[in-house]
Amino acid sequence: MNDIKVSARDVQVWYADNHAIKDVSVEIEDKTVTAFIGPSGCGKSTFLRCINRMNDTIDICRVEGDILLDGEDIYDPQVDPVQLRAKVGMVFQKPNPFPKSIYDNVAYGPRIHGLASGRSELDAVVEKSLRRAALWDEVKDRLNASGTGLSGGQQQRLCIARAVATEPEVLLMDEPASALDPIATAQIEELIDELREKFAVVIVTHSMQQAARVSQKTAFFHLGNLVEYGETSQIFTNPVDPRTESYITGRIG
Amino acid sequence: MPDQHIMRAFDRDLEAIQAKIMKMGGLVEAAIHESAKSLNKRDDELAARVREADKLIDALEEEVNHDAAQVLALRQPIAGDLRTVLSVMKISGNLERVGDYAKNLAKRTAVLVQMPAIEGASGAIKRMAREVERMLKDVLDAYVHQDVALAEDVRARDHEVDQMYNALFREFLTFMMEDPRNITACMHLHFIAKNIERMGDHVTSIAEQVIYLVTGELPNDERAKLDYIAESQEAED
Repeated sequence: MNDIKVSARDVQVWYADNHAIKDVSVEIEDKTVTAFIGPSGCGKSTFLRCINRMNDTIDICRVEGDILLDGEDIYDPQVDPVQLRAKVGMVFQKPNPFPKSIYDNVAYGPRIHGLASGRSELDAVVEKSLRRAALWDEVKDRLNASGTGLSGGQQQRLCIARAVATEPEVLLMDEPASALDPIATAQIEELIDELREKFAVVIVTHSMQQAARVSQKTAFFHLGNLVEYGETSQIFTNPVDPRTESYITGRIG
Repeated sequence: MPDQHIMRAFDRDLEAIQAKIMKMGGLVEAAIHESAKSLNKRDDELAARVREADKLIDALEEEVNHDAAQVLALRQPIAGDLRTVLSVMKISGNLERVGDYAKNLAKRTAVLVQMPAIEGASGAIKRMAREVERMLKDVLDAYVHQDVALAEDVRARDHEVDQMYNALFREFLTFMMEDPRNITACMHLHFIAKNIERMGDHVTSIAEQVIYLVTGELPNDERAKLDYIAESQEAED
């Protein structure tokens, strides 16, 4: 078993009076892809967003319990959320490149975090990140073109390059391939599998097949509860909880 | 867990395959019964009908495999649905083999009716066939009702079939030693007994598939083998 990267204990989340996450405890392993699955509104995205404090930006949202990154409480008042988000990167459902050049999209994080000194070092970071995102060969001759001019699949890989440029330790992905065609989806999935060598990857997906294909661990959420968490191979062949089976096999539940 | 898929067509596909398995099961049960009866009554015509009916069983097996492949490709079943599809593929294979053994019995009947009868042998074979037929009926019930206890019971009963086979084996040896003119008939009867014993093994394998279908795990205890005959024979099975 791999080391525990993120450890959540008794996490509760409220949006005003709405109890969105109920007592969730989970240990996310390093160098592993963990899939969060569950019906819409089950809390999987909310929980994902807790891991890099994206919910801080929502006034009515209240988070209780502990979330530890390498044993350190990420909700400690001493922790700077901006620094945290450099360590815990995020990729969203809809590709959202900055309206800047391809180069500047990737260079943005390393610049603001002071991760590269000088142009040549920054060039190296941009190239390495684009290569990791399997985009380099397609864009190397037009790095100054706008990021928004790329195809949907390329834009999403650009966002992944941007996320990995700050050398994060955890990569959160909220339905990263739901707006992409099968080829672009396969490229993103291949990429996720490669990224696993370096980071812990947590992916929220509505596609059961995608969760089965890319993840080693699967967590099933339902009505704000974590119903079942285990090896993906076991969840998809012989789930323990009948609610998990009902959901993944497409039955009314 | 609710029984119905949100996508009703998926349920219809699975139900259609299960119905074919049950139809196959019924035909195979009849084949065992009729082939043993043809031997017992020395009825050549009945034996010919059994041989003819095997074509239907073979055709159904192909249909089940085709339908299962369709469901795998088009519906991507997982968890219990996946186990259903995997188990119907194996069960149809087992049923088809049992059907072949019944057909082989009917073929040997056609040869045996040309020879003098061996005292008591066809009655013992009929009893053995009846036990396997009952096991098959029960295992199909266990499959339909997802009844693990009944499936376990069927597995245990294979022991009795093995015992009957061993007893017949000894009996045929004595007949052959008594009079070498009995050898041809006894060799045929021995193959028949061995084939019925193998039918029991296939029915046991179906029982194991039922257990896998319901629990997600195959039983892992080794069934005690009751074959006193040289181990070389085990190796060929």
